[in-house]
Amino acid sequence: MLAPIMCCLVIPLPAHHSFGAEYDTSKPVQLTGIVTKIEWTNPHSFLYVDVKDDKGSVVNWKLEGYPPGVLYRTGWRKDLTVKVGDTLTVTGWRARDSTNLAHSREVTLANGKKLFFGPPGGTGDGGSTPAVEVK
Amino acid sequence: MTHRLALLALAAVTGLPTSVAAQTAARTTAKSAPKSSIPHTRDGKPDLTGVWQAGSTQRGNWEEANSGLGVGGTGRNPSAAAFPSFNDRPADSEAAPYQPWAAKKVLEAFNRRAIDDPSALCLPLGVPRLALLGLFPAQIVQTPKQIVILYEYMSVFRVIPLNAAHPDDLLPSYMGNSVGHWEGDTLVVDVIGFNDKTWLAGAGTFHSDALHVVERYTRIDRDRINYDVTIEDSKVLTKPWTIHSSMMLREGTRLEEYVCAENNLDPGQYEKLLKEGVKFTRE
Repeated sequence: MLAPIMCCLVIPLPAHHSFGAEYDTSKPVQLTGIVTKIEWTNPHSFLYVDVKDDKGSVVNWKLEGYPPGVLYRTGWRKDLTVKVGDTLTVTGWRARDSTNLAHSREVTLANGKKLFFGPPGGTGDGGSTPAVEVK
Repeated sequence: MTHRLALLALAAVTGLPTSVAAQTAARTTAKSAPKSSIPHTRDGKPDLTGVWQAGSTQRGNWEEANSGLGVGGTGRNPSAAAFPSFNDRPADSEAAPYQPWAAKKVLEAFNRRAIDDPSALCLPLGVPRLALLGLFPAQIVQTPKQIVILYEYMSVFRVIPLNAAHPDDLLPSYMGNSVGHWEGDTLVVDVIGFNDKTWLAGAGTFHSDALHVVERYTRIDRDRINYDVTIEDSKVLTKPWTIHSSMMLREGTRLEEYVCAENNLDPGQYEKLLKEGVKFTRE
């Protein structure tokens, strides 16, 4: 039995104007759902969340984030901060291929606490300034 | 009783050698010293021992210095972090003086959004790129004869013998061969023996096996090391490229394990996007 809070795919209005190779920062997402799995792995961790789409079907989203060491320094504690079955809300940016894959940034836990699960949009996409002068 | 006599008395009472008693006294003194003081080793050199965060100028422990906006951003949008990612040219540094043909190649990599980044294959970042990375800490262990730097990112290390010559039988390597010496209060590290598979500082900043890096570490106060780098590579650069950065002391931070090959999906994802014809490059 899934918790009734599990719902809602929301597309926030503020546009981001950087692009990652894998994630499209013009496609921000906000997802609320139930955690089905957390992979604490290098080089990146993954959070899996069951989210009900606008047709009422449950879709499993895969959310990429920081590696375990960075998560630890960001305030996460494995098996304590979030457990399978917990409800949470994640903001991030969708993959460019429009699959149910996203780069996650901020996670809001059921108790209202907010933690970063990944870096800002555009991180790892070559930077904002080329190292050489462009003439 | 003078301080020295007190130490001798302590050594006599405890049975410890004088040096150990002196060490204990020195640690006690350091603990109560003003925040601005720079610790020194017994041989009188500035002590660089500790866990450091590169690319930052914020004082405090890791949490204090990285709260709010978080770490690892590109500094481009409102939610970005205060310091740039390792794909950016370091703040306040000059543009890289590449020869025209080489500058074109650097720009191509930038426009491909750095998907050719060696780190996407879990390879070591090289020098100075790894020493500019702020998302992961590095630990310096200083002894009178050698200095060791341990980097969390990719779990690589550098052993830097002091007052030694480079070996004449070097195998080309990702992190190069380092030797160091003290110039006053500055640790100067000379690095050669690189392969040509890493980037210097920013997306696409390739180099040749002629790379020669000189790093200067100057601890200017308790919390900060000024990190100044000169990069020479006559095969791709028109002149030496200088970069100025910093490292901040992060007491209480410990290095974590980082086994990149565990679950690296990047290369496969990039390949998939390219095959699908998804357009992600910059115009």
